[in-house]
Amino acid sequence: MRTLYLTFKYGAILLWSSFVALPFLWALTTSFKTANGVTGGATYIPWLQYKPSLEGWKVLVRSGGQGIDIVQPYISSIIVTLSASIISMALGTLAAYGLARFTYKVGFVKNSDITFFFISQRIMPPIVLSIPFFLMLQFLGLLDSIPGLILVYVALLLPIATWVMVDFFSNVPKEMDEMAMIDGCTPVGAFLRVVLPNSIPGIVVGGLFCIIFGWNDFFFAFTLTFTKTQLLPVAVVALNSSVTPWWSLSASALVSVAPLVIIAFVVERFLSSGNLAGAIR
Amino acid sequence: MKNFDIRIGGVPHLDDVSLEFKRGKLYTILGRTLSGKTTLLRTIAGLDTPQKGELTLHKKEFLSLPVWKRGVAMVYQQFINYPHLNVLANVTFPLKRAHVPKSEAKKRAREVLAKVGLSQLEKRRPRSLSGGQQQRVALARALAKQSDILLLDEPLVNLDYKLREQLREEFLNIFQGQDDAIVIYTTTEPGEAIQLGHELIVMDEGAVIQQGNPLEVFNSPSTIRCAEIINDPPMNILQGSIGGGDLNLRGKVTFPAPNHLKGLSDGPYLFGLQAADLYIGSDITGKVELSEISGSQTILHMRGGIGSFIVYEAGVHHHSIGSTIEIEIDKNRIYAFSVDGELICPPTITSGQGR
Amino acid sequence: MLGLKHKHIFLLPGLIVLVAIIIFPLLFTIRVSFSSWDVVKPGLDWIGGQNYTRLFEDGRFWEALRRLSFMAVGSVLLQYALGFGLALLVWRDVLMKRFVRVLFLVPMMTTPVIMSVVWRTILHESLGPANDIVQLLGFEPVTWLSTAGMAMVSVILVETWQWTPFMFLLLLAGLLSLPRDPYMAAAIDGAGPFRTFFSVTFPLMAPISIGAIMIRLIEASKIMETIYVLTSGGPGTATETSSYYIYIRGMRDYQIGYSATLSITYLVIMIISLTIIAKILTRNIARD
Repeated sequence: MRTLYLTFKYGAILLWSSFVALPFLWALTTSFKTANGVTGGATYIPWLQYKPSLEGWKVLVRSGGQGIDIVQPYISSIIVTLSASIISMALGTLAAYGLARFTYKVGFVKNSDITFFFISQRIMPPIVLSIPFFLMLQFLGLLDSIPGLILVYVALLLPIATWVMVDFFSNVPKEMDEMAMIDGCTPVGAFLRVVLPNSIPGIVVGGLFCIIFGWNDFFFAFTLTFTKTQLLPVAVVALNSSVTPWWSLSASALVSVAPLVIIAFVVERFLSSGNLAGAIR
Repeated sequence: MKNFDIRIGGVPHLDDVSLEFKRGKLYTILGRTLSGKTTLLRTIAGLDTPQKGELTLHKKEFLSLPVWKRGVAMVYQQFINYPHLNVLANVTFPLKRAHVPKSEAKKRAREVLAKVGLSQLEKRRPRSLSGGQQQRVALARALAKQSDILLLDEPLVNLDYKLREQLREEFLNIFQGQDDAIVIYTTTEPGEAIQLGHELIVMDEGAVIQQGNPLEVFNSPSTIRCAEIINDPPMNILQGSIGGGDLNLRGKVTFPAPNHLKGLSDGPYLFGLQAADLYIGSDITGKVELSEISGSQTILHMRGGIGSFIVYEAGVHHHSIGSTIEIEIDKNRIYAFSVDGELICPPTITSGQGR
Repeated sequence: MLGLKHKHIFLLPGLIVLVAIIIFPLLFTIRVSFSSWDVVKPGLDWIGGQNYTRLFEDGRFWEALRRLSFMAVGSVLLQYALGFGLALLVWRDVLMKRFVRVLFLVPMMTTPVIMSVVWRTILHESLGPANDIVQLLGFEPVTWLSTAGMAMVSVILVETWQWTPFMFLLLLAGLLSLPRDPYMAAAIDGAGPFRTFFSVTFPLMAPISIGAIMIRLIEASKIMETIYVLTSGGPGTATETSSYYIYIRGMRDYQIGYSATLSITYLVIMIISLTIIAKILTRNIARD
């Protein structure tokens, strides 16, 4: 019975692992192909079934003509994602602390309603906001620009930051905050000097979520940028025509998702050392 | 003369309270859990706000000050320290907020740490310390502030027995030096309350029910409720009456009324007896319902014709459940309460002298 | 106690930013939905509720909504079942626990659109590995993206690959923080693995399960990018969901007014349904 269970267990794990790895492995091997590795049907093993080449990768850094130049969108994505994440975490953590510790009341609106308002922004499908954002950025002269994108992304990431931090703060006993105030800190002082330094796990999780959602957004970058500014996902999808060869496509895809995959491994390290257990609740 | 006056109302869990604290004295507040002690301290600190009333510290209005301007020092019963700072930084934290110059702050912190015996542990983080040590850090931080008001909310309750005894003694030494401050210490243990304070305040269900010199309060609790709180084990309360010069307990036992009660008018009363004033002898009989050993004494829970009662027996003895024992009452130590629970007449001699 | 000023410093900055960036566009969209702004007649006019009556009779919109519900609920439940199963497998002792757990996490961290691009090459009927695998198993090649039914399956497949890790992460964290006592009690009572799961694990995990499902439902209802890359809503309209339809009307046909109407209606329907679902689910735990 036990061996049956073990076979099942590791069999299932193997199966799912293969499923997970499939796109990566496929993209990896395809990125080294050239025409004859693709047009005759699917091929898998380099040297055996096709002749590997670095063409798919070289094209990434070449600009103009055949080139794709992924470097520019890469940098733009980094700037926009980091800026928006930092701003969202700053505003969101502040708001979350307020919501978790104090009571607000304006007419019939209470804390839980305000929190719901923040979180419910996520229900909004990007479509609904795309045209208004388009017009708004046009009005501000920020279309097709990095600051414009940062502005929009803050709107998207702020609810996430707030949601994570409200949950985190609710689970932190307030005695320490009180002690800080008794010791002479104003509420803001207590927050900055005492609460924040002890909230690192929550901030890491929140920041991570912001970075993930920011880096991976496609739709807003798609509708709000054209030629001057391009973010990574847009750049890659733009290649998704029948003209672009599969090998450059695969190489760009891999290079674009690599950073977050690496972060996944780094975070796992952090997770194992027990720091995050409390933050994820 | 710095006085701290409290006259407040409208705080949840707290009745209207009117108290006056004098500088240089140590006050203990004794009460069961949920009696309002913590709420009172929090109100003084500013964490809870009364709807009405005033708090005055040396003639200056205190109530309108927010928490961080009150300059109160407080020690919680959970060991609260700042985990991200080492011990020295923990103690200098409030001083830095008060803009005390760095060197001066460090000097003061070190003095206080020496007083609580933690000089070696300056660089350590609170998490790596034992419970007792963590609480000492909290205490050091509170003392370093040299506040006018020092509040301690059951600071020893989360420590083990031996540590509590040890720290209690240290407290007495530490508080000797606090001539300028008003120290308010809350506890649920009568023994601790009587041992520590200059003045005792008894609270129950949000109200102050008695205050005064600890021994006086102990010897003359103003109500039965007070007697219950201040005696551990609780005072025995027996129904009875006085008539014709005799004292009668539940109609079962009668004897001539003791001297100090001779002047009372005839009628029904509730009589109080501390467990220490009942001992093996030959006045009444009772069946043992439970026998506890506490320290080097035996506590017998018994039931007899006069009702249930508790007896202290010196030494460790074994009595089987259901066995019948004869108990003698130290009649000169009987408290007389009215049927409503008010103290009418306490005994004139203190415990143990009747034998 | 803390004075009006202080607590507001915390909430207001974030709240103001959010309101400014979200509320105004939203109000604007509502206003636009009452206009007939399109390529021919750009600008804000007022046509009353004409767009709304049009929407009411717009079969394509309701079709898309039906499709979306099916797709969203189906894929979320599938992700839930798989995620829970995987979490249970690697919950306690397993070889290379850390590596396996990270691996399972990875798809969630990738950019969905980009992975969809890769999946498109995988699901290519003649040049991609998907049909190679299918034929290896002895089946006929599948028309992954060119038949209505299979196209839906393909989308759900890709979504499942992408988001099961999310369920896995949340449910694993939940499992890891479960108390030990009920399990000891169950063991003492002689409960087998299935019994233990249904009587102990599943009920204890109810709050987290509901949270995870709700979050995924909210995100899944917005699905658009995968469809844009994989099928462009096709073949025909077989995989056209509400978001995609709104995109077509708005960005492709440039019927700004009508797409605004679609957007608002869709938003309201979403909020109402999600709230109802949330209430039903939470009331069920409360009853237990």
